[in-house]
Amino acid sequence: MVELLSPATLLDLRTLAGTGRIIAGGTDLIVQMRSGRNETHLIDITNIEDAPPAAIIRSGVAELSAMASITKVVDELNGRLPGIAAAAQVFASLQIRNRATIGGNLANASPAGDMIPPLVAAEAYAVVDGPSGQRRIPVDELITGPGRTVLEPNEWLSLVGVPLFEGEEGFIKLGGRTAMAISIVSLAWRWHRSDHGALTGVRIALGAVAPTVVRAHKAEAILEGQQPTADVVMAATDALQTEISPIGDVRASAGYRQAVAGGLLRQALATS
Amino acid sequence: MNVNGQKVSFHSPAQRLLDYLRDSLELTGAKEGCGMGECGACTVLVDGEPVCSCLVLVGQISNADVVTVEGLAGADGLHPVQQAIVDCHASQCGFCTPGVVVSTTALLARRPQPDETEVREALVGNLCRCTGYQAIFRAITSLGE
Ligand SMILES: Cc1cc2nc3c(=O)[nH]c(=O)nc-3n(C[C@H](O)[C@H](O)[C@H](O)COP(=O)(O)OP(=O)(O)OC[C@H]3O[C@@H](n4cnc5c(N)ncnc54)[C@H](O)[C@@H]3O)c2cc1C
Ligand code: FES
Ligand code: FES
Repeated sequence: MVELLSPATLLDLRTLAGTGRIIAGGTDLIVQMRSGRNETHLIDITNIEDAPPAAIIRSGVAELSAMASITKVVDELNGRLPGIAAAAQVFASLQIRNRATIGGNLANASPAGDMIPPLVAAEAYAVVDGPSGQRRIPVDELITGPGRTVLEPNEWLSLVGVPLFEGEEGFIKLGGRTAMAISIVSLAWRWHRSDHGALTGVRIALGAVAPTVVRAHKAEAILEGQQPTADVVMAATDALQTEISPIGDVRASAGYRQAVAGGLLRQALATS
Repeated sequence: MNVNGQKVSFHSPAQRLLDYLRDSLELTGAKEGCGMGECGACTVLVDGEPVCSCLVLVGQISNADVVTVEGLAGADGLHPVQQAIVDCHASQCGFCTPGVVVSTTALLARRPQPDETEVREALVGNLCRCTGYQAIFRAITSLGE
């Protein structure tokens, strides 16, 4: 028999944390338990009265609840953070988005988690809460490998802070079909584009091409300050392909992922 | 928890909403197609929003209003969405139909006259093996006309 407790306040959660497995939307956990994952005690974090609001803006940073449904967060953002919104738009289905949380996506730590690349490209931080108080971790240091994070068993993700941005940002993914598909490769970006077309502040993050979501530092450096002419784009996609380490699996071969990653960058440069 | 307007109580908070509805309340409209969020045959409304009842535990929604396909028809007959599905022959084996109907009522509550893209997006999580979807889309667009 599985037991489920639903703490009503953060204080209650603080006492319970560590005595069982946290469940938010359950869209990963319930599926995993169905395929044999054994959990005896579940701690529901979707009924906490003093949980952070779905999204608020505080001095240039959008604070997004890690415990609210993706639908609520994006509704509340109301057009801000288009990179996050673009990832949410191709995320699963409405039924899943109405339950699934950003915290669950991060804690599940899939290399293909779609909310992760836009957070990494935005240099977002996560606020981790626990019995001994809060700490702040850059999102790209939170996840250490597939299914692995730096969270202690009695800690939980409370919110993510995403710096607001005036330039261009977006997210594209290639999946087996347009909707309801696990990403084969995904790419999120942020950059400014001057009147002459030169790019600055270039940030690129890729999903499903390495054990964790990765920044494409070399490609960023090649694009920085440049206009994306054919030669520059070619150099950037070549560099990109050296800094990822995709695997081949049932969804795609490693070589295909390599090629697609470059293609997505080209598409991002052309579309925004 | 309220289900279709009636107050109900449960004993096992970790029970899936789908099992609670079907086994304890004998509301068998919501179907189990996959049990993992892929097919949408188990779709019900929780506080007005469509969710997969196979991925919700009852203890997580103990204060919610749940509406299943059984709660949609009025005393005077089928819900307009149900009637449109009948009129347009948009149900064949019928396994997906309760989920399609529930997702569609939620869409129409949000967008009374959805365009085809909005209809397709709202039904991304409702798979149908039989109709090829065209009759379903026709039924839904006929409602907005
Ligand atoms: C049909 C279907 C389609 C999907 N499509 C996509 C997709 O397109 N893109 C994608 O990225 N994912 C997809 N997913 C996977 C899943 O929906 C996401 O990973 C989702 O964000 C998980 O969030 P959740 O709240 O449901 O997590 P849960 O299942 O509740 O939890 C997942 C894990 O995270 C832990 N956890 C949850 N919240 C916290 C927290 N606040 N702090 C610490 N630990 C926590 C839990 O203990 C558990 O180990 C899909 C899943 C399904 C079933
Ligand atoms: S049974 Fe719930 S989505 Fe298939
Ligand atoms: S009518 Fe058979 S699955 Fe849709």
